[in-house]
Amino acid sequence: MVLNELDGKYLRQMIYQAASHLSQNKEKINALNVFPVPDGDTGTNMDLTFSSGANEIKKHAKNEIKDIASHFAKGLLMGARGNSGVILSQLFRGFSKAVEAKDVLHSLEFAQALEKGVETAYKAVIKPVEGTILTVAKDAAKKAVSTAKNTNDITEVMKETVAEAKASLSRTPQLLPVLKEVGVVDSGGQGLVVIYEAFLAVLEGKDIADVETDAVSMEEMIRAEHHKNAQSHIHTDDIEFGYCTEFMIHFRDSKLKEQPFEEEAFRNKLSKLGDSLLVVADDELVKVHIHSEYPGELLTYAQRYGELINIKIDNMREQHSSIVQREEAANVKKANTEANIEKEKERFGFVTVAAGKGLVELFKGLGNTEVIFGGQTMNPSTEDIVQAIEKINAETVFVLPNNGNIMMAAEQAAKVASSHVKIIPTKTIPQGIAALFAFNPDLDDKMNEKAMKAAMSNVKSGQVTYAVRDTAIDRIQIKENDFLSISEGKIVSTAPTSEEAAKNLLNEMITDDNELVTIIYGENISEAETEVLEEYINENFSFMDVEIQNGMQPVYSYIIAVE
Amino acid sequence: MSIELKTSQGQIDITKEVIAAIAGGAAIDCYGIVGMASQKQLKDGITELLGKDNFSKGIVVRIDGDSVHIDMYIIVSYGTKISEVAHNVQSTVKYQLDKMLGLAVDSVNIFVQGVRVTTT
Repeated sequence: MVLNELDGKYLRQMIYQAASHLSQNKEKINALNVFPVPDGDTGTNMDLTFSSGANEIKKHAKNEIKDIASHFAKGLLMGARGNSGVILSQLFRGFSKAVEAKDVLHSLEFAQALEKGVETAYKAVIKPVEGTILTVAKDAAKKAVSTAKNTNDITEVMKETVAEAKASLSRTPQLLPVLKEVGVVDSGGQGLVVIYEAFLAVLEGKDIADVETDAVSMEEMIRAEHHKNAQSHIHTDDIEFGYCTEFMIHFRDSKLKEQPFEEEAFRNKLSKLGDSLLVVADDELVKVHIHSEYPGELLTYAQRYGELINIKIDNMREQHSSIVQREEAANVKKANTEANIEKEKERFGFVTVAAGKGLVELFKGLGNTEVIFGGQTMNPSTEDIVQAIEKINAETVFVLPNNGNIMMAAEQAAKVASSHVKIIPTKTIPQGIAALFAFNPDLDDKMNEKAMKAAMSNVKSGQVTYAVRDTAIDRIQIKENDFLSISEGKIVSTAPTSEEAAKNLLNEMITDDNELVTIIYGENISEAETEVLEEYINENFSFMDVEIQNGMQPVYSYIIAVE
Repeated sequence: MSIELKTSQGQIDITKEVIAAIAGGAAIDCYGIVGMASQKQLKDGITELLGKDNFSKGIVVRIDGDSVHIDMYIIVSYGTKISEVAHNVQSTVKYQLDKMLGLAVDSVNIFVQGVRVTTT
């Protein structure tokens, strides 16, 4: 049937139909659920979420697309259950936003609304996991839009959408390792396919009961059940039901007369005899998979309804570890392929300057970072910096000099280097560290530059070092071997010991609105000496948190950051 | 302080950092979370620099006698059902810790520190 205009009545029917189709298929969807938690409730969650949406539109009589979509979205949001339910609510929240002003929809508008739903759904997650309902929705919506550009027939668009959703679903095991290990498709994705199938059935004027849901095979469901089972039993001794039992009942009319078959009752009875139960029934056959301690009882019971065929009973205590082993093998394989992938050019990299093994390690910990050894007494040359920039294989390289004296060399290097270089003018180690933390790989280079510059000005920097000769600076008399407290580049006091100098510096730096002090101690300072300072802070500035790092830097006994 | 698991072959000590890293990894797999929150940038940042990834940002692991409690500070996407997202995080974190460490957590407390609004 060619349909050029989708109105609210249709949408209402589509939603009702999908709700009932989902409800019929929820057990199958549950059985596939191995990710993110194999608790077998994806189908139930999607069913509850969706029916909450359907119930919400039942309360309202209006039949404009915009009203139905927004009531539906609201109902989904209120009733959202589980990850898949929350994702569903986002898909239709986006859909509803896209049709906000519409009474009816044309094919392209419909397809674009699906796409808008996908966009919204992707925005609500820090790290979208591909190979889930998200991927299925994305692929399907893309296909919908490309189809809608060539036809005004909404039925045709939906047909292609369903076909692509199924194809995408079948690809999910390639994207999500846990699905591949177990050998199943994604449960949430399967749920979405069920929904789309029901939508299509309404548009085609078919009754959903006639539509076969073909994608879930019994084998897939069984593998998922076994996987869950292996997960929950770490020890062989913990296996309560030792025999994996599968069989089919071929109904016999003579027996059914005495003992009519009722799926629900049959399932309930079996569930008392074991776990990991799967029952799939049609008019002629019932397929059963169950883990039971006494398979004989099961078979006797099942025989009431007809003849048993394709019987298979395995002892799971003996083969219990096989699934776990398969998982390990898959992991090893994955690790190998990952190692073989060539190093691609990264988006961002850092060149920074520091002295001291601890500090170098600290900086190197942040991924793509090249650390040049140097600092106050040993300034790296322009060439050193250029070389480091070239070594970093990145589109944008940020240079953090961490010292005022190195700024010029860094600027010079930026001009010469072939990469795109941005200089963050950090003058101290704490500024450099603070700037690095502000980096966010999801942002572009300009935003990052801004964020890092802002972050470096939020931290106070101090150092304790010793005087190499007698002198006077800023009216402070300094004697050789005195310890100097330097705050923000200015000498603020002198003291005969590093401990006293550090205390003076802390007094100078810490104010009421600070909350964290980070002490990085140098190579000539012991951990015990630093602990004395920690106690001092705890006693005098109890509101401060203290973080201690061994920087092993020369020259500076302590580098102190306060924020 | 770390958690001690006794086995027939000896003892296994698991530090809080490990627990936090696993909890964080599990949490960001959950739909609806757009970030972990923390007020203290430098402190978290240093752990990050030391190669412990930023998952453990905003995660506090508390060990109280035999019981383990986890506090997680998260930022949730605008327009999601926040209680449900938080609940999903709880169950995923609990499951992953049990699966990877065999550790039964007594509580996973979620503190929703922010809601990120995106323009759609």
